[in-house]
Amino acid sequence: MALVGDNGAGKSTLMKVFAGAHIAEEGRFFLDGNEVTIGNPQDATALGIQIVYQDLALCENLDVAANLSLGAEPVKPGWGFIPRILRPLDDLQMEVTAKKAIDSLEVRTLQSVRAKVGGLSGGQRQAIAIARAVGAKSSVVMLDEPTAALGVAQTRQVLEVVKRLRDTNHAVVYISHNMRDIFEVSDRICVLRHGGNVATFTTAETDPDEIVAAMTRGLDGAKTAA
Amino acid sequence: MGQKLQLKPNQSLLDRFRAMRETRFGAFVPVLFALAAIWIYFGLALPLVDLLTGDEETFRSIFLSPRNIYNLFMQSAVIATLAVGITIVLLLGDIDLSAAATAGVCAALLGVLVLAGVPGWLACLMVIGVGIVMGAAQGLLVAYVGIPSFVVTLAGLLGYQGLMQKILPTGNLNVGDVFVRGIARVLIPDLWGLLLGLVCITAFAFLNLRKQAQRRAKGLELDSNMALWGQVVIFGVLVMAVIFTLNAYRSLPLLLVLLVGITTLLGWITTSTPFGRSLFAVGGNPESARRVGMNVRRLRVAAFGIVGLMAAVGGIFGASRFGSVSYTAFAGGSLLLEAIGAAVIGGTSLFGGRGSVWNAILGALVIGSLGNGLDLTGASAADKLMVSGAILILAVSIDAASRSGPGGGQ
Repeated sequence: MALVGDNGAGKSTLMKVFAGAHIAEEGRFFLDGNEVTIGNPQDATALGIQIVYQDLALCENLDVAANLSLGAEPVKPGWGFIPRILRPLDDLQMEVTAKKAIDSLEVRTLQSVRAKVGGLSGGQRQAIAIARAVGAKSSVVMLDEPTAALGVAQTRQVLEVVKRLRDTNHAVVYISHNMRDIFEVSDRICVLRHGGNVATFTTAETDPDEIVAAMTRGLDGAKTAA
Repeated sequence: MGQKLQLKPNQSLLDRFRAMRETRFGAFVPVLFALAAIWIYFGLALPLVDLLTGDEETFRSIFLSPRNIYNLFMQSAVIATLAVGITIVLLLGDIDLSAAATAGVCAALLGVLVLAGVPGWLACLMVIGVGIVMGAAQGLLVAYVGIPSFVVTLAGLLGYQGLMQKILPTGNLNVGDVFVRGIARVLIPDLWGLLLGLVCITAFAFLNLRKQAQRRAKGLELDSNMALWGQVVIFGVLVMAVIFTLNAYRSLPLLLVLLVGITTLLGWITTSTPFGRSLFAVGGNPESARRVGMNVRRLRVAAFGIVGLMAAVGGIFGASRFGSVSYTAFAGGSLLLEAIGAAVIGGTSLFGGRGSVWNAILGALVIGSLGNGLDLTGASAADKLMVSGAILILAVSIDAASRSGPGGGQ
């Protein structure tokens, strides 16, 4: 599923509502056909909704393994008598998990999970941010403009990762301006305009011109409220 | 596309330097070089000049004598204690200007308490509690009210200086308590010191080898054998050299054992627990730490609490070593700037997210060696200040240079 729209159409806002960062004033959420409520970021995480923000939110001073387990670091068993925050980290387990996550996305250019994120390329960082979202046992992964700041080769790398994500049974919501990317990775395209839902297209039955028209002018008479 | 992570042959010297600092033990190299340079200058170069000029009477070979090394370690111990504490808040990207004043208040309180007849050990525990509260109070202001730590701790510096003067109206108090004096006076017998050193080295080697074995078992990338054994050998040589030198004069003082023990504990907490990991995460990217659910505010308060704790311990060490508490030795003197300087010279970044408590100890030794060496050569106070300033600028420049690489800057 791709989410497109002109600047200010409400793509990122919609995503933040899904993430629990903003609270919706009206409307209902359905996940796998069941109605759910999202009141805060923890609810979203518990439901398996993971967001990859535009700015990635990686710590450049930490290595790849540490970034992937940030906030949910594994600790060694057998230290139950001290508070969790002071128990010894299981950094080997961390590396094993990180390697598995990176391998499952087939990021071949990354040579070591012990490399500092500060020294990686934009595409590699994006892949790590995605790997972090996937590693957290997610069912829905939302990507906010993952290729906006990347070069051609790096964009390619990220798109491969996104396809790989789709093939491993994740629902992916892909937010972007870039028609070529969207037509490459999406099954359906949802167009937003002025905070409203214009229409949802099936990628195989539409073409970029129709989408651009819907983004800029809306569908004549078909403007439905979200 | 895939930017290689290995060293490329055409890398500039600066790139190699940056790459080296990224490794776990590479961060020690610059400060060790600085320390070696200072020791060679004062310990070898100056005596050689004296020898060549034939000036037998001014022959200055005392710098590297066991007696002077012993004094050097003891002189640097209080600076090191505070620097270790300050490193914790520097990791967060904050700063604590009030550490020396806190140490002063705690030391003054300690003196007054033991004078009033409170047993030494109880008085020590009490002032440690007071130190933690003083630090955490500033942390609360930084974290929950949102005042920059520079301003909060500047206010703390002034306020605590005043508080110390209130507690010690005369500005001076002798501390004769056996327990308090004992911290600096008790010496570990030579043989026990050596045994302790051997135990440390064995434990270090064992932990390293076990980790390597576990890595192999889990199929992770391995450290090269040379790096592994190199670490063990260097660690062993350093530990044994220190112990033999100290034994040659007196013995290993309890004060140093305590300092190393506390630093080991804090070093372990900062690098090997979720708490320490979150310190680094907040220093690197506070927004990302917040998004993954870390309680950044509580973390700040805890970090300032730890500085307060270390400041109190520094106050106790100082009172124990001098046998007295005076305003100029703590709050009113150069202790604060020396401690911050030690942390920064050690390689801890003022911008947060990088550094280590061990580097703070080495940094304190650099500052201590400079002061000690310049004193021995009869330099004036003015020279000492200027040289210290130059060294500090050099250290921060190295930090900035190793940071502003491609992708490394923020």
